[in-house]
This record gives sequence, C-alpha cells and structure tokens, in this order.
Amino acid sequence: MAIFDRHKNKETPPKAPEPVLEEPVATAPPSPTLSPKTARSIAMIGPSIKIKGEVSGDEDLLIQGQIEGTVNLKNNEVIVGESGQLSADILAKTIKIDGKVIGDITGTENVVISKLGNVRGNIIAPRVLLEDGAKFKGSIDMDPGDVAGKSAPQGAKEPTAFPSQDNKAPRLDLKSG
Amino acid sequence: MTVLNIGPALSETVEFFSQFRCKLYFIDLFDDLLELTSAADHTASPQQLLSESLQFPRDTRFDLCLFWDLFNFLDREAIAALQDILRPHLHSDSLAHGFAVHNRRTEQCGKVYGIQEMDQLSTRPRPAALPGYSPYNQGQLEKILDCFCVTRSVLLPDSRLELLLRTTLQN
Repeated sequence: MAIFDRHKNKETPPKAPEPVLEEPVATAPPSPTLSPKTARSIAMIGPSIKIKGEVSGDEDLLIQGQIEGTVNLKNNEVIVGESGQLSADILAKTIKIDGKVIGDITGTENVVISKLGNVRGNIIAPRVLLEDGAKFKGSIDMDPGDVAGKSAPQGAKEPTAFPSQDNKAPRLDLKSG
Repeated sequence: MTVLNIGPALSETVEFFSQFRCKLYFIDLFDDLLELTSAADHTASPQQLLSESLQFPRDTRFDLCLFWDLFNFLDREAIAALQDILRPHLHSDSLAHGFAVHNRRTEQCGKVYGIQEMDQLSTRPRPAALPGYSPYNQGQLEKILDCFCVTRSVLLPDSRLELLLRTTLQN
C-alpha cells in the first residue's frame, strides 16, 4: 500500500524506495513566511502586561506579555515574542511563535515556530514551519480542509491550500523482499 | 494520512510532511525513558506512564508509526503496554518503521531521527546517552510485537537493522 498516496483509488505503479540512513544533512532553517512588516503598524502587549480572558480585534499583534485565555485575530498576524508566555488558544491568519505557548494554535495561512519557540498543544494550519531548535509537543494538522472547517465562520469558505499539488502523489511503498 | 512520530519534532520531518495532507503526532517517549526502563524504581506501571503520554482522540487511526529505535530501550512489559495503547488506533493497513540490532552487543546509536526526503533519513546526535538500552534482534522483536510483523529488514553497516513493519490487525 502506498501510504503517501492522497489518491488511494488511483492505480499507479508503486515506487519502492530503499531505506537509507544518512548522516546529518545541514539545512538552512526555513525562512518565516509571515507577511513583511514594512511601514505597517502592529499592536503590542508589553512584557509586563498580564491578561486573563479573550483578546480579539482587527489588527496585527505582537505579544511580549502573558495571556491566559484565547487570542482571536482571525484576519491578522499574531507574533508571540521571545518574552511572550501564553496559556491560550490562538486563532489568526499567520502566527509566529518566538516565545512559549501552551494551547491549540490555528493558522488559516501558516504557523511558524522559530528556533526560540516552545509550543505544547495542537496546531492546525495548511502550512507549518518548525525551525531548527524549536521545541514542540503535540499534533500538527496540515489538512487544509480541516483548517477551513475549524477556523472559518459557518458558511464561509477558505481557499484550498494545496490546489496544484493534487497530482503530485509521492508514495512510500513498503514491500517485503 | 495520520502519522505518529515517537521522538522529538525535527524541522525536516515537519517540512517533509508539509507537502502532504496529513496530521502528525509528535510524542517524544525518549523523554520518559528514565521512568519507563526496567531499572527504574516504578511508582507507576508502564501502562499508566504510557497512557499519560499517549492520549489520542478516539477516532484517530494511524497510517504510519515511526518508532525509530524506541524498542531498543523498552522491556517486554513496556512494549506490550505500548501496543495495547496503540491497538485501538491502528487499522489493517497501518505501517511502521523502527530499528533493531543484528547483534545484541551493538552499541547504542545515540541519535535522533527525522525524514529528510522520501528515501533519506536525517540523524542528529543526542546530547546524552539514553537509559535502559537493551536491544532486541529481529527474531526477538518479532516475538514481542503482536500488533506488527516485519515486512522488510535492511542490515546497516553498524550492525543495526532497519525494519519496515505492517500491522497484523484485521478490520
């Protein structure tokens, strides 16, 4: 069975890769794919601020303080700064974690955990980047169908994240012999 | 596709799976080895310890389990407990990957694993040796595993075995 096949009913010759154990391959950490912050203003919760409850709004947010509750900025960007400590669920368009988060994270576009980031929880996003050194425990759901369904208001539709990759069906076929 | 990675979340593994529609579970049981190993003064059974670490939604069914070299550090009781917990979350086509040894005197590898590409794993050194290393050869492991059978094994240069496994469960 081809386990990496997204088209399980499609008949294509399976590929049987030879398992290979390689030495470490140096890879440059992926660049965060958050939108560029040029002259755009961004709201900030300072390092001495502690919030219990729901944080919501319609602008980008940098969190350097502590939040216990929820962060709901579904059309905007959320950055948890190095000193940020959240025990909260986060919903935003793009999310970058440089600090510590315990909670579920939903990004309708992408989620980046930087090398300084420490996340314990479940991530739902069509695109997730984990930089070298990042600490993560939990699950990552990269099924765009799920993220649309779970993050969008009822009746609304989010664009499919992988529309052009449906024909690319790499597979790992485990065969005896 | 739903994947269970028993080990730390490495950037390349997330990057690799990001090209697929999938759900990844990262649970680093190697962090819990000190409590799980037979040398430990158990205050809780392996079943209890593993149940705390391995909590999945009821409808989760894993297509792929990446055990890496976990079995080399668990005693029979802990491996049985692990299988008991995973059994409800497997299906008849579930696959798995792991490492055993050809010779039980083979030294501990001391690496963490990730997936670089379709046919290439990445390894990184562990900061310190892990406790409880008592590896199994393929025959021993096959007797211990009742949820999985070995479908393919490859002898590696350092006398370790890379194993591809398939579930023995029937729907």
